[in-house]
Amino acid sequence: MTELWDAFLQAIQLIVSLDKEVVEIALRSLAISTTAVILASLVCIPIGGLIHFRNFRGKRPLINIIQTFYSVPTVCVGLFVFLFISRAGPLGGLGLLFTPAAVVMGQMVLITPVLMGLTISALSGVDKAIKDSALSSGATEFQAISTIIKEARFAVVAAFIMGFGRAISEVGAAMMLGGNIRGYTRVLTTAISLETQKGELVLALALGIILIALALIVNIIVNLALQRY
Amino acid sequence: MKKIIHCLSFVIALLILVMGVVGCRPQAETPGLGKDIAGTTAFPVVTAKERFKIATTTSLYDTGLWYYLEPMFEKKYNVEMDIVYAGTGIALEYGRRGDVHAVVVHDRAAEDKFIADGYGINRRYFAYNFFIIAGPLSDPAGIKDMPPEDAFKRLAEKGNKNPEKVKFISRGDNSGTHTKEKLIWSKAGFKYEDIQKAGPWYVEAGKGMGPCLLMANEQGAYVLADISTFLAYKGKLNLVPLVEKGEIFLNVYAAIAINPDKIPTAKLQMANNFINWLISDEIQKVIGTYGVAEYGRSLFYPTAGGGCNLPNCPTVDEYSKPVQ
Amino acid sequence: MPILRTIQLGYSCDSKILLRNVTLDVEKGEVFALIGPTGAGKTTLLRLLNLLDMPTSGRIYFDEQDAAKSTRLRLEMRRRMGMVFQKPAVFNSRVYENIAYPLKVRSCSRKEIQTRVEEMLEITDLKGYEKRKAQTLSGGEAQRVALARAIIAQPELVLLDEPTANLDPVSVSKIEEVLTRIIHEQKTTVIMATHDMSQGQRMADRIGVLMNGELLQIGSPNDIFCAPRNREVAEFVGVENILSGTVVDKEAALATINIEGGVIEAISEFTVGDEIYAIIRPEDITFRLTKDTSSARNVFEGKITRITTVGPLVRIELDCGFSLLGVVTRKSADELNLSLGQRIYASFKATAVHTVKSWS
Repeated sequence: MTELWDAFLQAIQLIVSLDKEVVEIALRSLAISTTAVILASLVCIPIGGLIHFRNFRGKRPLINIIQTFYSVPTVCVGLFVFLFISRAGPLGGLGLLFTPAAVVMGQMVLITPVLMGLTISALSGVDKAIKDSALSSGATEFQAISTIIKEARFAVVAAFIMGFGRAISEVGAAMMLGGNIRGYTRVLTTAISLETQKGELVLALALGIILIALALIVNIIVNLALQRY
Repeated sequence: MKKIIHCLSFVIALLILVMGVVGCRPQAETPGLGKDIAGTTAFPVVTAKERFKIATTTSLYDTGLWYYLEPMFEKKYNVEMDIVYAGTGIALEYGRRGDVHAVVVHDRAAEDKFIADGYGINRRYFAYNFFIIAGPLSDPAGIKDMPPEDAFKRLAEKGNKNPEKVKFISRGDNSGTHTKEKLIWSKAGFKYEDIQKAGPWYVEAGKGMGPCLLMANEQGAYVLADISTFLAYKGKLNLVPLVEKGEIFLNVYAAIAINPDKIPTAKLQMANNFINWLISDEIQKVIGTYGVAEYGRSLFYPTAGGGCNLPNCPTVDEYSKPVQ
Repeated sequence: MPILRTIQLGYSCDSKILLRNVTLDVEKGEVFALIGPTGAGKTTLLRLLNLLDMPTSGRIYFDEQDAAKSTRLRLEMRRRMGMVFQKPAVFNSRVYENIAYPLKVRSCSRKEIQTRVEEMLEITDLKGYEKRKAQTLSGGEAQRVALARAIIAQPELVLLDEPTANLDPVSVSKIEEVLTRIIHEQKTTVIMATHDMSQGQRMADRIGVLMNGELLQIGSPNDIFCAPRNREVAEFVGVENILSGTVVDKEAALATINIEGGVIEAISEFTVGDEIYAIIRPEDITFRLTKDTSSARNVFEGKITRITTVGPLVRIELDCGFSLLGVVTRKSADELNLSLGQRIYASFKATAVHTVKSWS
């Protein structure tokens, strides 16, 4: 159990000394996951809105399926995307495998159900009367939907944070699609995996602590930004 | 106004982020790369230098040899080398799918098939070492210094009798090491399926070499490992080498280029550079001395100079003739 | 020219018919009150008029254009209306943004928005509230915000769904004040659903009675309250004395009606043999201790069966062969010194009796 304390100390030491490789890996983790969340939300929020606001046959089952995929194993997502972007796959010509972009793609696929499902939940939480008020005030359908999304903004941001958490903490897809290539696609989670494999438990834990610290910082920044608006 | 500035800065930050992740490409592709087609031109994998990908086995990776060799190769040929590690099975699969440009493995039978199927060409053996059976100091099965096949027989016998004391950790992942293990079982007269069902003493870990060593260490079990990985992990293990001698323990590492005839996106030129570089005198010397400082002995034997004199050793051509 | 016209409007949802055959015209500048019990369909109707929902049958014409023509047209029409809902639904932002919203969606300039919002804050007595978070307001304040939001774009038609239900009297009067003001100053047409009978009487030019999805009667407040068309309307508007009878004699406009337990005289258009209901408002009944020798045609003597005090009024139930309910002021009740079982005289004029066709 002393490993935990040692890990904590090592984490501090790595941060303070700005260990070059750790900084690189941490920044890469951050960049990849943030990009994945932002790109995914560009797709998920409009579609989530569409699903919520339109009534159609199979709406309930669709939402159920989306929620089911909250639990999809990350390595399965990795495998799924791998089959697409491997040179032998349909998107092989793009040469995306074993690149950071591939990891972004994998994480996007991973968090899409979460972002979409939580967006739908967030919108459901908005009183129906708000939509009426908006339309009644002369808003077009699009303006009304934007207004409702704005009303739900706290819950939508919570969805972001959830998506980000799932993205930055996953290792299955990052490993499969990035290959944990040193200096290119190595992220915190795959580095932790490798160090654990090598028996370097304290270092692995230290990296884990750094990952949580990163997530905390992102969380704080996002919440601060939200308060302003 | 304030809102517009906020939006703009957000978009700019986002762009910087994406660029940083993906890298930007100031110049055009380097010419004269033979059969290269998709290569480095594709979105969004665009970096300033060409990228050359290889798949290697975990046993090689865990020794840290590549950390050592990679910068040297990259400098010499001005290329970014991406090293992906996986068991031999997956590494060859990456090769078949054209996801890498060269593979470095140590399973002759699988390699032969790979080449026969047309996926690989220009195989050269550049290093070798030996497997060992490592186990707890107390050696509960009493296999010390036995021939490999007999040792395995003894392990099965003792394991069946006393699974609490005698355990064997298998790679269980179709790697080169795993294939070798299966070979030894068969040479010892067992059918592998029977061993798999034999009992709780036989543990299929499904992990890389390093993790298997650590697992064997935890459980006080026996394990078949290549000497280099074993030495690299020695500091963390209470296991000792118990069986070190045997022809069957020969473990030869080969580098194979991916065949552009079968895989249009292969980079034969660079793969050839890589293979020739590995068998060059300079690198062979490096390989031969790798690990001495840290572990007291080298982890690998270079094939150059014909030091290998067992029946299964590669021929001169197979290890020294440069490829084109 | 009616600014709003509906023709046989119908609406059903989940195979439940919520509105049926609603036909009405509302003139420009008119104040039209929609009264009816809960569940009658007032909200449904208002939502259809605000073009939020599409009717399942019938047509709506706004400014003589058929609203069914296109979505684009409906949007334009909606932008000439404003609606206040029963529950104030304010956005999760400041009061300023809430009130500014209609102008924002119409892409008005910042300057203009600022001017108009300040105007609205003034009118609704919300000066100083701009920066308050709308969701922290009290019910009355929030409803004023909703009202400001509904009228800021100077709509030609304002729809209100029980705007003062659940509010304290002070807020109620503030809101009625604003409404009166815009009605006078801008000649805005107002359609208001209300529970509050007196509010309807006070503010409306015409009243429509909606019950079970049907418009049972449209008329001036006087028509509705004194001459309800049928029993349902009568009961709803608080007419208590509904006496079933047959006309037995008719002389000019005066009809003699045989009711169970007595004979009354009324000014009526019905003729001999017609089966009718005679309706008398409680306020039109006069009580005396002695027999009345004045012009009142209908004088009955009876025993007091119940005395109830309701605020400043006293309700007296009398059995004079048939049941009669009258209402007097507390003062009058004290002067008469009424008590249960006491025998007194009740009288009402023939003109106070309103006859309607029997509707059984």
